[in-house]
Amino acid sequence: MIVPLLVAIPIITIFFSFFDTRSEYLTLLKNTFLLEYISNSFFILVGVLFLTFIFGVTSAYFVSFYNFTGVNFFKWALILSFAVPGYIYAYSLTAFFENYGTAFSILTFLFGDSEYNQYIPKFDGLIGSIFSISFSLFGYVYVLTRASFLYQSHNLIEVGKNLGFSTKRSFFKIILPSARPAIVAGLSLVAMEAVSDFGTVSFFSISTLTTAIYNSWISFDDLSTANQLSFMLLFFILILFIIENYSRKSAKYHQPSRGFKSIPKIELKGKKSALAFTFCSMLFFCSFLFPVFQMSYWTIKFPKYFQDIDLWSLNFNTLLLVFLSSVCLIVFSFLSNYGNRVSKSKLLNYLSAFSISGYAIPGVILAVAFITFISWLSDTFTSAFGFASFKPLFIGSVIGLVLAYFVRFFSLSFNGIRSGYLKINQSIDDSAYLLGYSKFKTFTRIHVPYLKSSVFLVGVLIAIEIIKELPITLILRPFNFETFATKAYSYAAQDLLEAAAFPSLCLIMWASLFILFASRYILSDK
Amino acid sequence: MSSNFLEIDNATFAASTKNKVNNVSLTIKKEGEIVCLLGPSGIGKTTMLRTIAGLQNLQTGKIKLKGKTISSEDYNLEPEKRNIALCFQDNSLFPHYNVLDNINIGSKRNKNSKFRYSDNDLIKILHLEDLKEKYPHEISAGEAQRVSLARSLMSKPDLLLLDEPFSNIDQSLKDELQKRIKDLLKELNITTIVVTHDSYEAFYLADKCGIILDQSLKQFDIPYNIYHYPNSIDVVKFLNRGILIDAQVTGNDTLKNHELGTIKGKFVKKQSIGSSVKLLIQPEDLEHDDKSNLILEVVDRKFRGTNFIYTLKTKGNQTIPVFVHSHHEHQHKIKDKFGIKTPIYVDHLVCF
Repeated sequence: MIVPLLVAIPIITIFFSFFDTRSEYLTLLKNTFLLEYISNSFFILVGVLFLTFIFGVTSAYFVSFYNFTGVNFFKWALILSFAVPGYIYAYSLTAFFENYGTAFSILTFLFGDSEYNQYIPKFDGLIGSIFSISFSLFGYVYVLTRASFLYQSHNLIEVGKNLGFSTKRSFFKIILPSARPAIVAGLSLVAMEAVSDFGTVSFFSISTLTTAIYNSWISFDDLSTANQLSFMLLFFILILFIIENYSRKSAKYHQPSRGFKSIPKIELKGKKSALAFTFCSMLFFCSFLFPVFQMSYWTIKFPKYFQDIDLWSLNFNTLLLVFLSSVCLIVFSFLSNYGNRVSKSKLLNYLSAFSISGYAIPGVILAVAFITFISWLSDTFTSAFGFASFKPLFIGSVIGLVLAYFVRFFSLSFNGIRSGYLKINQSIDDSAYLLGYSKFKTFTRIHVPYLKSSVFLVGVLIAIEIIKELPITLILRPFNFETFATKAYSYAAQDLLEAAAFPSLCLIMWASLFILFASRYILSDK
Repeated sequence: MSSNFLEIDNATFAASTKNKVNNVSLTIKKEGEIVCLLGPSGIGKTTMLRTIAGLQNLQTGKIKLKGKTISSEDYNLEPEKRNIALCFQDNSLFPHYNVLDNINIGSKRNKNSKFRYSDNDLIKILHLEDLKEKYPHEISAGEAQRVSLARSLMSKPDLLLLDEPFSNIDQSLKDELQKRIKDLLKELNITTIVVTHDSYEAFYLADKCGIILDQSLKQFDIPYNIYHYPNSIDVVKFLNRGILIDAQVTGNDTLKNHELGTIKGKFVKKQSIGSSVKLLIQPEDLEHDDKSNLILEVVDRKFRGTNFIYTLKTKGNQTIPVFVHSHHEHQHKIKDKFGIKTPIYVDHLVCF
């Protein structure tokens, strides 16, 4: 009951705020920039979907069906892009391509002094946002599509061969359509993340619905407008959520059977091998190595900023949030899943389904709605019962942060443990009961040991998300409380990209470390 | 106090409206008896086992084990307190334990039992020697079934429930395992209910068989009686070991079929002379005779190793199965003529 209640807070708050009195700022927005916010959000969405589809599906296809130089390396290396959030990618793009930036320095070093700035393309504004977000998110499409290719296509390809299909025809007529649910699921996740993005668009000064929400709260101190804009964005996301859910339902028909056979890969030689290698190398370079090199270069080039950073407290704060949130999320996810399994209550099932909708709520909205709700609750209690305000306990505190992360990432942890539970046949529980095990003993002796790898994976995925998370942390953090993400953002917001390099690099390193821990499970072939 | 080992009294077992068995009453009088429940797939046999095990609630009626009520409409003793083991048809081994650990996981449950087999004894009996260290995902479905059986036996249950225990086991191993398990259950005196759709398996294993059809227990009797004295046309059709032909009762021990002529034998139930009945003819009831005047045409021939079953057609297009030893001096091909010894003598005349 607690979890759905928590998730309901932002949704209900925004719903009621929508019918609240319209502020002057909202009227002003409607007459001026609202259409621009919506169109920018839309263009970013379309651009990101297009690029992530190309990057994700093509790389998954090469890695799943062909043997070429480096294929085993690319298999896991491509998921390292998850470690680079869009906003850090944006810093790197700007740092490299800006006037007198890294590209300029390289050209000067190689060819001597000249006016290179006019020849160097500029990746900023909408294009920069689309590229940054696409490179950081294509991993969703890659992982899901690859899994779908591995699980489904072997028998289908053989049927295709029997019917006389060429490799190309098999791909377009059989493999791609059969992987459609996985591709749509990946693209839906990308879409939700893209419209929720705050850090990247804010850095490039692109006005979208998320930046408008943030600005109405931070610049105009207008919570009601922030909530009303949130309502529009949530409606947008609701449509994406429905599409994603629909595609997932279809995807379950493509689960691997017991007789799983891995796909015999086709050996690529000559130009074809070079093409596949070049594509995957470029993608790996652009999505991961490029920002790492750029941030490393600046960290080394500007060592004075390195001394300004309290590395110990940044590490401590980031890991504290990771630890507290992971523990809460895993405990409650275990309880919810176990409750569903044992009770088989429909009500509990519906509540769980509602609880996992939190992942569709963008961080900015969640944080703003959380503040609105706590303020209202505190004021109500203060005026009704004369209680002291409890706002400081939740707003600008670690507790508030953990609660907001909880709502945002509960689906990740609940679904992670649920997928582990789905592998435990109900007859295994029944067998345990019949061998004299109580429900508690079945949980501790059968479920927990079996699900420990799922728990580990969930913990790692939560860690990656929280390390990268920006808007919630930015809005709800205690005064002077910095994580790598907020530190990098605050430097970048002051146009001190050189200073943002080191915290960005640390963030990427931490996230990469956790991704490497999880890669065995994310890329499992069986 | 009741002295029966297991009593199922007017019980309704239901998993859904379709998967339901109504008003079942059966008794296992002595400990150590083996009962087989036979019926087509999806009829509710597994639901019965799950309910007896306590995994599902009983809809109506009562189940008593050793005189103690374990299930009724408003009471369900928890499965972990029943000391009943259920061996599932699908793989229910604990995936994070190896075969040996799986077998031993319930072994401490019933310390007072007279059960005197060790895990290694069961491993030998069930041919699991090479699998001890393997994990469930590394063994075949048939092997998993044997491990599951060993695990159930090691928990020393009062009542053992086996759901299609040999369904995934190779035929070559099945016969041997059936014998070993039957001997073992008898030696350990473990009362067992086996669910199967294979009548040969049921007839071999069981002291008594129950036939479940059309949501009810149609017949509960010893295997010989189930085969030779089926109590309804439904049971005959389900066993599929004979045909029903139209006949007229002509005397206290005779009937007449317009194509087969006079049929003699002993009526299982008294029939009034002159009445029209459906008579059960099983393959072994007819005897081949090349010199007979009753000549039929061979339309099909099934070779079963020890025998042939010929399907013969009468002039009126009625088909009749006939059993012939496979060492019979000559074989008949399709469309050959085939003589039947007359008058036909059927040991027990089952009429409906």
